[in-house]
Amino acid sequence: MKRKIAVAAALAASLFGVAACGGNSSDEGATSANAKVDGTGKTLKVWLMVDAETAWKGVVEDATKRFTEATGAQVKVEYQQWANHLTKLDATLAGSDVPDVVELGNTEFSKYVFNGGFAELNKGDFENSDTWLSGLSGACELDGKTYCVPYYAGARVLIYRTDLFQKAGLTEAPKTYADFLSAADKLQTGNAADKKFSAVYMPGQYWYAAMSWVKSKGGEIAKKDGDKWVGQLSSPQSQEGLQAWVDMVKKYSKADVTKNENEQAGIFSQGSAGMFYGNAWEQGVAEEVRKDPNDPNSELVPTKVKGKLKAAPMPEVPSFLGGSNLGVTQKSQNKELAAQWIKAFTDSKSMEGLIKANALPNSTALLDKAAENPAIAPAALAAKASWFPPNAEKWADVEKGNVLQTMLTDILTGKKSVADGAKWADEQMNSTLNEA
Amino acid sequence: MARHDEGVVTVGRSRTGTFFANTTGIVFGLLMLFPVYWVLNTAFKPDNEVRSFTPTFLPQNPTLDNFKSALGEELFIPAMINGLIITAMAVAAALVVGFLAALAIARFSFYGRKAIILVVLAVQLVPFLALLIPLFLMMQRAQLTDSLIGVALVYLVLLLPYTVWTLRGFISGIPRELDEAAMIDGCSRFQVFWRIILPLTGPGLVATSIYGFIQAWNEFIIINTLNSPEKQNLMAWLLYNQTERGTAWGPLMAGAIITSLPVVIFFLLIQRNIATGLTAGAVKG
Amino acid sequence: MYAVDSPPQPKPTTRARRRNRSDARVPWLLSLPTLLILAALLAYPLYRMIVLSFQNMRLRELITGLTPPWVGFEQYTKALGDGVFWGVVARTAAFTVVSVTISVLLGLSIALLMRRVHPRVRIFMMVAMMFVWALPQLVAAQAFRWLTDSDFGVLNYLIDKIPGVDFANHSWFVNPWEGWAVITTLVVWAGIPFLAISLSAGLTQVPKELLEAATVDGASSWQALRNITLPILKPLLTIVTTLSVIWNFGLFTQNWALRDGHPEPVYQTLSTFSYTQAFGQSRYSYGSAIAVITVLLMFGVMVFYIRQMFKIGEVD
Repeated sequence: MKRKIAVAAALAASLFGVAACGGNSSDEGATSANAKVDGTGKTLKVWLMVDAETAWKGVVEDATKRFTEATGAQVKVEYQQWANHLTKLDATLAGSDVPDVVELGNTEFSKYVFNGGFAELNKGDFENSDTWLSGLSGACELDGKTYCVPYYAGARVLIYRTDLFQKAGLTEAPKTYADFLSAADKLQTGNAADKKFSAVYMPGQYWYAAMSWVKSKGGEIAKKDGDKWVGQLSSPQSQEGLQAWVDMVKKYSKADVTKNENEQAGIFSQGSAGMFYGNAWEQGVAEEVRKDPNDPNSELVPTKVKGKLKAAPMPEVPSFLGGSNLGVTQKSQNKELAAQWIKAFTDSKSMEGLIKANALPNSTALLDKAAENPAIAPAALAAKASWFPPNAEKWADVEKGNVLQTMLTDILTGKKSVADGAKWADEQMNSTLNEA
Repeated sequence: MARHDEGVVTVGRSRTGTFFANTTGIVFGLLMLFPVYWVLNTAFKPDNEVRSFTPTFLPQNPTLDNFKSALGEELFIPAMINGLIITAMAVAAALVVGFLAALAIARFSFYGRKAIILVVLAVQLVPFLALLIPLFLMMQRAQLTDSLIGVALVYLVLLLPYTVWTLRGFISGIPRELDEAAMIDGCSRFQVFWRIILPLTGPGLVATSIYGFIQAWNEFIIINTLNSPEKQNLMAWLLYNQTERGTAWGPLMAGAIITSLPVVIFFLLIQRNIATGLTAGAVKG
Repeated sequence: MYAVDSPPQPKPTTRARRRNRSDARVPWLLSLPTLLILAALLAYPLYRMIVLSFQNMRLRELITGLTPPWVGFEQYTKALGDGVFWGVVARTAAFTVVSVTISVLLGLSIALLMRRVHPRVRIFMMVAMMFVWALPQLVAAQAFRWLTDSDFGVLNYLIDKIPGVDFANHSWFVNPWEGWAVITTLVVWAGIPFLAISLSAGLTQVPKELLEAATVDGASSWQALRNITLPILKPLLTIVTTLSVIWNFGLFTQNWALRDGHPEPVYQTLSTFSYTQAFGQSRYSYGSAIAVITVLLMFGVMVFYIRQMFKIGEVD
């Protein structure tokens, strides 16, 4: 009954607009991750993405254990789905009961850092912070301050069918872009009988790939000119890169031009494609599937292409560096504890665990160690020559607005020329990135 | 519920006409069922048959693995139970609360009645998704996020206008003379309500609950925003439980079948009332 | 127990009327719970939404709790001056008109057909429709996404079997006409059970004697339909049509799910547009303004419906 009254009172309070929004504490300096805090009786709420649950839950548990031993605080981890995590985060951050630690994709972070969603951290408190991958940490920096900690990375590589390569008389992975195209040619002729065959499987809305081609010709997506962002896809270099990608896709790929790369490994595993461009771990996904897709511990079932795949860096094309960062929310009531948990979860010991789980670590110093794991060696190489999207406050809005995806589909279907598509995308980016 | 004879009107119809009608009817039914059949077909296939460039029209190696996978997913059963609880709460509350208002509109003439009718009709046009943020803030202040009751309350609002309106139709269908006769016999207003109106509206209550059930069972965006993963319903589970390997179609389709089952069962239980409920409530003037 | 064509209600006797007048509090007490719930959980968020539409709330204001700046009608002028927005409005309206027309015509035809077929066939049709109806919207949408998948979909496989047609890997969403055909098919398919079953229930109210008499008098079945059946069915048709308009105008789940949660510009409808503007782009105020405009548009279209309903409500 008491609860009912409380509820009624709260509803009434909100009716009359008593806006008691959470403490917007002013600049209180960086949160230390080294302070001695007694966390007994406290519980941290941590939001990680689902990858941690499926691929390296052990690392999470180990870091949490060490953290709890040191501080006495408990940790509750909630695993989020990529599909809707930002909407949920926005709504939750609007309130007062917020998670203390949040993982976001590296391209998503800037927006929240710019808008005061995350607390300032003391960079030096975290291990390997002087060698953090700049593709990850770039999004954490604002005005010389640090607001998040790089967590893990992924780089994209060329994954190819060794058996088809052999049949086509190819003995090794392409070393140059010209090699890559001639390999595609040979595969195309050799498998002409299969009308579903793609020499290169490349879905049309795979903008990470398309932009890598843009970068390969020296193009840019957008750059900052004074205090304004200017879309750069119309520049001659960018257009050349786009054109190269479009020509390649039109000639060698039968993939759906309205799909993105999410399901490419599964489609590739049907055996009707010679090469694809994906995250290093996608090789494993193409070769084996979980008998029960909902159970990360169930047995692995080989697919048609099991044992027939190899990965190599994509020649002459720098890789997009994807990945995630971790931050302490500005509204967290346990900032110091939260920083300490992040510290434990991103130290060298945890990074070793990630490497074993085929993820790239957060620091260049650890990349060599990662290269010792054959499963991610090509990715570790690719990560050394990598790029990341413009570090603009509103970049996430460009991604969410499907600007690049729409442009690519329009170009591939012939609805727009490369020049027109690039011009349209530049206009969209100019208005989104500079919006007040 | 006077069910008129729905016999075939045969007068002046030729044999070929009837044959043509029957064939069309069967073809129509089959076309309607095709997607349902395909969902079933997919759900019983092992993964290598599901994701195959040459689909087969019957599972070559039928398996229950997909159902096991869906049911075995740790949040599936909780999502199902949550969904049932939320739906039951929302529908029951909407019927009780809505019935009272319907009674007022249908049986009384009073100052402000028009305004109430207008409100009930107009709120049906409000797109609920636009209210997500204010709604979330409010629920959080009331400490009703991450709770089944909070979601049930929101769903209650979603269902209430339609419920009031439909029940109003059923109540007006009960001749006023019955009330008056009873009152002359010395029944109090409450007794009239309890002994006459309520029993006669019974079928209407059942029919109205169909709409509510479907609405509440189908919603996924509000619950997904308000609640943590442990407190989702099946629909949200269905949308967001995609593995990192893209869509796992087999388990998804198996999950879809399980998700539909409560509605199918509900329909079978009350099928007699469906048709009448839909029309009577809305149309009765 | 119910009649489509309602007989005029007998006027309440003076005695009853006096009684009703005498305790005016009773109806208000009865309505109170409903009104309170609507006020607390609907009116307040609605009020906040309207307020929001006159401000400029972005992510910073949302997460820090700062009061967003007031911008007057700026969000509205922005929307009304934006060709993209009008494109979305036109698309939503066109989809609504087309899908509702097809649904209602098909629903009516099926309802009429059900009167002519063998009882067993009728039961089969009913069962088929019940199954479709019971399928949750999202499930239905996922099922269609699966049927039309460019790589594994059975639709491409079947069409590809037709000699001389190459539909391998055909993507249904490259060409917006094809994509919208898929969405419309899904909406119509899912909407038919409600329409056909309601209308066939309504058809039982058409007196058979009347039809027989008409046939004896030499009326063709078309004439009988137009002059007898349809007029009797009219009130019901109005209602199911307007309900379909409300539902289809608010299209969200179907295009959202078929485009895998990120509909391209050509697949945006007012609901998805407002949602992506607010939550995808953190333009909460702009999204709210669009939602307000949507409600106003709906009211504009629905004045007719509300008046009709109002009349029905008034009569009792």
